[in-house]
Amino acid sequence: MPLDMKPFDAKSAPKISDKDFEQLRDYIYNVCGIYFHSSKKYFLESRLARRMEGTGCKTHADYYQFVRSPATGRSELTKLLDEITTNETCFFRNMPQLNALENKFLPEIIGTKGKIGFKKLRIWSAGSSSGEEAYTMAMILLEKRATLLKDWIIEIVGTDINETVLAQAREGVYNSYSVRNTPDYYLKKYFKEESPGRFLLSPEVKKLATFNQLNLYDDNKMLFMKSFDFIFCANVLIYFDTSSKSKVVQHFYNNLQPYGYFFVGQSESLHGVNDKFKTVHFPGGFTYNK
Amino acid sequence: MDKAAMMQTAQEMVESFVDLPTIPHVATRVIELLDRPGVELDEVADMILADQVLAARVIKMVNSPLYKPANEIKSVKRALIYLGFRHIRELAFTCSFVDVFEGRDGIFDVRTFWEHSFGVGVVSKIIAQRVRYPDTEKAYLVGIVHDIGEVFLSYYRQDAFRALLESVKGQPFRLVEKEAEYLGTSHSEIGLCIARKWNFPAEYCEVIGLHHDPEQAVLDPTLCAIVNLADLFCSVRQLDYGGNSWVTFNLAEEKAWAILRAYAPNLADLDVERFCYELDDRVPEILDMVKSIFQGIGAKEPS
Repeated sequence: MPLDMKPFDAKSAPKISDKDFEQLRDYIYNVCGIYFHSSKKYFLESRLARRMEGTGCKTHADYYQFVRSPATGRSELTKLLDEITTNETCFFRNMPQLNALENKFLPEIIGTKGKIGFKKLRIWSAGSSSGEEAYTMAMILLEKRATLLKDWIIEIVGTDINETVLAQAREGVYNSYSVRNTPDYYLKKYFKEESPGRFLLSPEVKKLATFNQLNLYDDNKMLFMKSFDFIFCANVLIYFDTSSKSKVVQHFYNNLQPYGYFFVGQSESLHGVNDKFKTVHFPGGFTYNK
Repeated sequence: MDKAAMMQTAQEMVESFVDLPTIPHVATRVIELLDRPGVELDEVADMILADQVLAARVIKMVNSPLYKPANEIKSVKRALIYLGFRHIRELAFTCSFVDVFEGRDGIFDVRTFWEHSFGVGVVSKIIAQRVRYPDTEKAYLVGIVHDIGEVFLSYYRQDAFRALLESVKGQPFRLVEKEAEYLGTSHSEIGLCIARKWNFPAEYCEVIGLHHDPEQAVLDPTLCAIVNLADLFCSVRQLDYGGNSWVTFNLAEEKAWAILRAYAPNLADLDVERFCYELDDRVPEILDMVKSIFQGIGAKEPS
């Protein structure tokens, strides 16, 4: 847990009614494209309590009005999303996605490219933050180095707007919170626990990924991010308004190989953002392709 | 694979099944009542009350989160009033089937069969509502029974089934295709043979036989398509035989999707992502409901 976060006393959070929950969930979904499962109700309740304290709203209904107001709504929503998505980043965050990738999408793309003798795999973690997603991919691919990916060139690119997190990604040092989901096998093989709670990523993983600063709004730079087989963009688009979202997603669409896949975060949705991408379902999630 | 040959194999196989259960008397009566106009409420109540195990099970289920009563319902009469006539038929029908599959845990735990079946029932009903299919209860019931062949096939042919599952470990597969390869027939044909033996109505037989090939349906292609899609969605949203099926699908390429889009053009606007997420929210209810069927009465508590 980052130092600036107070441990939260769940008991003190005001209980949210089903009606208020659904109203707020629909609003967040419609504006940001992220869905709150009913099982996350208590989580949302506790995070909302912080924002209600911050805004002086007494009831959930007051807060709902506040977050919808044209003057303050958007910036408040960003703060709420920060509360909701902070701490989300970790290695092996989205297991259903990784399973599907490993069992289905990766072998499929390797088959397609292998046939035409194009033995190069390009992966982009857009909004990479401190690199957990990019490095998770690197570890999964390293496991296939002797078999499926023998003689393949692998390029993993992580981009973020924030230089501080990029520096952390390049450094490759993580705390126990970041590795909390990492299967033991990977933890033992690719990390060194230098001191309690301080994990150094192995150089062999680090050298598979590069990290660059990129603003997803920057059309010129986006044009150069070409020919990716997999693009990941989790919990980034939720901060954009609809037209920016459409524009950025169109870039992802253009930058994806015809047989590639585009992944968003676990509860995100591109509905209404782009009508070219097709939805491909797999156990526990879905992805988009052309 | 040749459909006729698969059907032939299924027929011989079903004949060879030792101790294949017969359809419960109550289920036959419910089926009779399903399409009869002007059925009296009392007729259904009497039928349920005549079977104490069934009555107790109906009460258990009506109190499960799926039906959400504000206060606990303690009698069949109250259950009838709370749920209304149409829903009580659903419940009676389902409850009457529980014993049929009891102890048939072969490769699959019977409970995972029920989880998937109820899931498909519930999702079929939701899709039926979305496309404005006139008989949503029928969609629910036929969703529940669509996979009856799977229970018996996996129970009576355990060795072949084990080999099949072993062969696909860690790879995507569609069970129906693998069954054809390993057993020369599939749960669709087996289910169809059993449904005919049990005198299920023709549309039910069609869905059971063609829920993986909705484009071949003649009696009610819409119903087949509804169940086909519900089955696909359940397979990717945790109602998947305890993780024993591994499917990926692209909605735009599914024949069932094309059938339903032709039937209900408004489906083009469906927010599929949200639909999936809402489905996730229903999963715990469905699991609780299945738990409630097994608790305490009649059927053995699964371990």
